[in-house]
Amino acid sequence: MNKIELLAPAKDLAKAKIAMMYGADAVYVGGKSFSLRSRASNFSMGDLKQLVEYGKQYNCKVYVTVNIVFHDEDFVGIKEYLSQLNEIGIDAVIISNISLIPLVKKVAPRLECHISTQLSANNSSAINVLKTWGADRVVLAREASMDQIRDITRKCSLPVEVFIHGGMCSNYSGRCVLSNRMTLRDANRGGCAHSCRWKYRLYEGETEISNPDCLLSMSSKDLRASAYVEKLIRANVASLKIEGRMKSEYYIGQVVKTYRNMIDEIYETSEMPYERLRYYDSELNKAENRPSDDGFLSGSCDNTKHLYGVNGAGVTHDYVAYIKDYDYLKSIALVEVKNVFNVGDTLEVFGPEIDNHNFVNEMMYNTEWQYVESANKPTELLLVRIPFVVHNGDMIRKVNKQ
Amino acid sequence: MELLVTLRNTHNIEKILGSVDGVIVGNKFTVGFNYSLDDITKIVRYCQKVNKKAYIVMDDFISEDELIELNSYLEFISTLDVDGIYFHDLAVYDAASTFGLKNKLIYDGKTVLCNSLESAYYLSKGLEGVVISRELTKEEVMSILTSNPNKVDLQIFGHLRLSYSKRRFVSNYLKQINKSYDISGKDDLFLKEELRDYKLPVIEDENGTRVYSDYILEMYEEINMFKSYAKRGIIDTLFINDAEVLQVVRDYRKVSQDNCLFLKERLNYNFPNKYSSGYLYMKTNITKDE
Repeated sequence: MNKIELLAPAKDLAKAKIAMMYGADAVYVGGKSFSLRSRASNFSMGDLKQLVEYGKQYNCKVYVTVNIVFHDEDFVGIKEYLSQLNEIGIDAVIISNISLIPLVKKVAPRLECHISTQLSANNSSAINVLKTWGADRVVLAREASMDQIRDITRKCSLPVEVFIHGGMCSNYSGRCVLSNRMTLRDANRGGCAHSCRWKYRLYEGETEISNPDCLLSMSSKDLRASAYVEKLIRANVASLKIEGRMKSEYYIGQVVKTYRNMIDEIYETSEMPYERLRYYDSELNKAENRPSDDGFLSGSCDNTKHLYGVNGAGVTHDYVAYIKDYDYLKSIALVEVKNVFNVGDTLEVFGPEIDNHNFVNEMMYNTEWQYVESANKPTELLLVRIPFVVHNGDMIRKVNKQ
Repeated sequence: MELLVTLRNTHNIEKILGSVDGVIVGNKFTVGFNYSLDDITKIVRYCQKVNKKAYIVMDDFISEDELIELNSYLEFISTLDVDGIYFHDLAVYDAASTFGLKNKLIYDGKTVLCNSLESAYYLSKGLEGVVISRELTKEEVMSILTSNPNKVDLQIFGHLRLSYSKRRFVSNYLKQINKSYDISGKDDLFLKEELRDYKLPVIEDENGTRVYSDYILEMYEEINMFKSYAKRGIIDTLFINDAEVLQVVRDYRKVSQDNCLFLKERLNYNFPNKYSSGYLYMKTNITKDE
């Protein structure tokens, strides 16, 4: 079996570091320009440089998205930008305008060109064309089934990247400008308003045929391909990609760690038994904020794979604190508060080196050693007694009573 | 600039061909045409007989499973000696080489071909032409046209495709609400966002769902500027009735700086639809932060 890459998103330096600590083989991030996800914090060149350096200790690659659909006015500064990325040691750019390939090869020869899913490459013929045009990798359209992916990788020599987790465009990526029509936000230049997730009445001519109590939505459930990881590895897919450049550090940590462990277990044991898959799914549930399914991997998307007026569901744990330090002698952790938790709560620690250790929060203090009953000020630093060894970068979540 | 029209039926083929330089027809890997392969052959032959051009459109994405069918279809097309093939999936580029059709290909970038460099890049691959995106301002269109003179096509009339999904939004929804409703072949379905007052035409078939603009793009004034640089102007007749198609093709044939406002006013009078210049005067670069 090939050694597959686990590729994680990050919207800022802190989250990218979490992704690396929790086991990503590569992270993809957006720069200040030329990137979709306009609301993501996005990285300055200084941030990117820091990230490349930080990644070296984890042998983790850094890819930068240059994936807007360029208009003529958007090219200003692109050569210099690519050249800088090349200089600071970025590994690849993810592009949707294929005319950038020759430019990248010329001014930034160390960068690989990964073709974004915005191009919706959906078959081996298209991928082979992209190879002859200089692409180094293709991010496959999310519309391909597992059987099709197997055929595609068999017929292509170009590495193929497949999305395995996170939100999905319900339309072919790049082929939806509903947002442009309805809000003047350019979906292909970082402004998508997610108009597909809004509610629509359905008419035949002048007659409404929709149900006013349950209107039509084009919104899809999020993708979760945990059940396909072993098959994707066996199909010689090069990279498994997690979506979510807008997601929290908790989401990134939980999802990356779960897939990391899962991939490693498959390589160790050459299988993924049903009960282990259930365990990993229960771990992914802890980070879930929208219902999920396997998208087109199983072949087609019927009504059960859509969301009709349904929002968050299934979250059983709350992320409450981030561990910044641990005093072994006193068994006290310095934590940064993220959400409310109290003395008496059952809490669970997880991290790059620790799997779900529970403890009852018996006592906590502020940094002046004054007793605190309730942690309810986000970003406040508190001292919490934890009866086992934890590390900087571990996270604490509340275990809700079922 | 050649004037082309998508020929959705053959009711007025003679009259239409009297005003345009050629027609665009389709069978597989596209939507909105109801022709058999035999029909396609007859239309192409007829165009050739009357010295008009004939183009094939196949602007859907193509899945791995459909590659064999794509090859068969292109083999069929290769027997017709058409003047061009509009395509969107690069698999067509790959397969067309096998049948000596590469120099007939016209890449329709739909929503993703928005700049001069990308247009030139595709043209450098030996294509006959490209169709630029519809979400461009007048200045952006001119910039691309003048950078690639007489090589670039643009849609000059018709509804704009706003989204294209492999998912079957309408039938899935009807299943969700337990409504038994036959939508096959229907071209009068609309979606209306609950807070907005306009209705978006929607078409669903076995290849998925496409949603179109509520308005009809028209360029009666601007075409006078574009036509010196554009290779072909496309009148897309999807959802447009036959009478309106006839008037529009005649108008575009004779439109000039002097008569454009009159023709536009007459079109509005005869067919009181919602016409728009689309994005020609409207930038859509607003981001979420603005």
